[in-house]
Amino acid sequence: MERTIHTPEGVRDIYSEECARKRVLQKKLHKVFVSYGYEDIETPTFEFFDVFSQEIGTIPSKDLYKFFDREGNTLVLRPDITPSVARAASMYFLEKDKSQVIRLCYQGSTFLNSSSYQGRSKEVTELGVEMMGDASADSDAELLSMTVELLKTAGLTDFQVSVGQVDFFKSLLEESGMPEDIREELRELISNKNYFGVEELIREQHLAPELANVFMQMPQLFGGTEILEKAKTMTNNEKALASIERLEEIYRILEMYGCAQYITFDLGMLSKYKYYTGIIMQAYTYGTGQPLVKGGRYNNLLAHFGKPCPSVGFTLVMEHLMNALSRQGIEVPLTWKTQEILYDETNRQEAIGQAMAMRREGKHVVLKRKEVCP
Amino acid sequence: MRYLTFALGKGRLAKTTMELFEKIGIHCEEMKEPGSRRLIFVNEELKLRFFLSKGPDVPTYVEYGAADIGIVGKDTIMEEGRKLFEVLDLGFGNCNMCVCGPQSARELLNHGQLIRVATKYPNIAKDYFYNKKHQTVEIIKLNGSIELAPIVGLSEVIVDIVETGATLRENGLDVLETICPLSARMVVNQVSMKMESQRISGIIRDIKAVL
Repeated sequence: MERTIHTPEGVRDIYSEECARKRVLQKKLHKVFVSYGYEDIETPTFEFFDVFSQEIGTIPSKDLYKFFDREGNTLVLRPDITPSVARAASMYFLEKDKSQVIRLCYQGSTFLNSSSYQGRSKEVTELGVEMMGDASADSDAELLSMTVELLKTAGLTDFQVSVGQVDFFKSLLEESGMPEDIREELRELISNKNYFGVEELIREQHLAPELANVFMQMPQLFGGTEILEKAKTMTNNEKALASIERLEEIYRILEMYGCAQYITFDLGMLSKYKYYTGIIMQAYTYGTGQPLVKGGRYNNLLAHFGKPCPSVGFTLVMEHLMNALSRQGIEVPLTWKTQEILYDETNRQEAIGQAMAMRREGKHVVLKRKEVCP
Repeated sequence: MRYLTFALGKGRLAKTTMELFEKIGIHCEEMKEPGSRRLIFVNEELKLRFFLSKGPDVPTYVEYGAADIGIVGKDTIMEEGRKLFEVLDLGFGNCNMCVCGPQSARELLNHGQLIRVATKYPNIAKDYFYNKKHQTVEIIKLNGSIELAPIVGLSEVIVDIVETGATLRENGLDVLETICPLSARMVVNQVSMKMESQRISGIIRDIKAVL
């Protein structure tokens, strides 16, 4: 078959009703961002490799689409929009006023050069927000409430926003004094909820019984506020306790937002714990095996661009959301109907006049010429 | 209530798993019908569904949420490298992932020289030689009867699962190094674990109690 009519593996055309529904949904979700006072930002689709390098981003270098410019610089198709927004913010916003809080939102495609035959898109549409310059629990709660609002706006009713806290694990690690490779192994075991693996590894480490017990319990520390209570009784580590109190404070604020019922906690959620510096969040629903929303607090990211600044953000992947909606049988209603006006040479003037009048009223009108029989 | 879907690796693993499940009150009579050609089996009372698939496909079904829970060997989990929760070691199907070859090949493993390694598990072999042993190797992927490779001179050593070692010995091969122990594991989709937390945690708790 000719290659010119096919798309490469991992990318596809989106058209007709699906495209219309995607646009409508994106517009509705964007309205939520704007309603919280977030300003739009657009960054380039490709950037210098350094912006997405290992120290800054979370995507392994082998999964990036890389190419060269005429000067021989390595360029990368963005795998993630957050580093771009952080770079842009450090250039244009953070200079003027140090105490300023910046709220930005964006939407666009991201690209992952993942392995073949995994049924995974290599290009997806992401919508996201970043809030910079605010380290408070209020800002964490603002983003979590926005996530809930987004998913409700999309039409979902049965979903969960799971909140983790990397500081809890980090402060316990510090206390343990274990070597780096063991820490990494432990993180991996805990985040895979590998109960047995954690137990085995911890037994070999000869930690204080109390500390060993917390690590062993961590894969099971997920659920409602009761797990925060439980976690507090398990350690005397001040930093760890403070990190739990932070979650409690966030929860209290979310109660004021009226969305606490969608929130659960998971202290074992530790993916990319070097990147995140406080809360980690993921949103789930039925019909898609992957999180719809991912995000968290990354206070160290902006320092890579010369402007250290506390930040928190999240992104939502449209494809996952659309999949979940269709599998749950939730319609994205199209708010219009396209009308047709038939005309021939005799009434062309009248037809055009009527069509333009209707279009000005916001109606969707197609002018259709009657086929003249030869 | 929604169906909880289990993906089981075909063969002995599935049989032993169902025996274990029966101990905690999870039955599926449909599965025992001999000669059945059905692919999916349902327990309406408990709202559970079971299907059998090739072992290496189990992590794929679970990662995408097509199955909530999977039962599969540790070797497959390591080789596939999927994003899953690996929640239980079921303690059966015990064996080892090993580097094997003729005794004459033992010497080749002690130096950094390039050797050829035949295996069904290229990712596990690569990880072991590159990241643990720091030896450069050429991996040759085969699909079965791996023991043949060193005998006919396709490779110096092989990386494969060893249960009793009988096949190896019959063909003049030995275990040269053990990479890691293996057994059957229960894996859970990361979203299901949260959305169906109560039911899944309950199953994990019950199984733990009878192990």
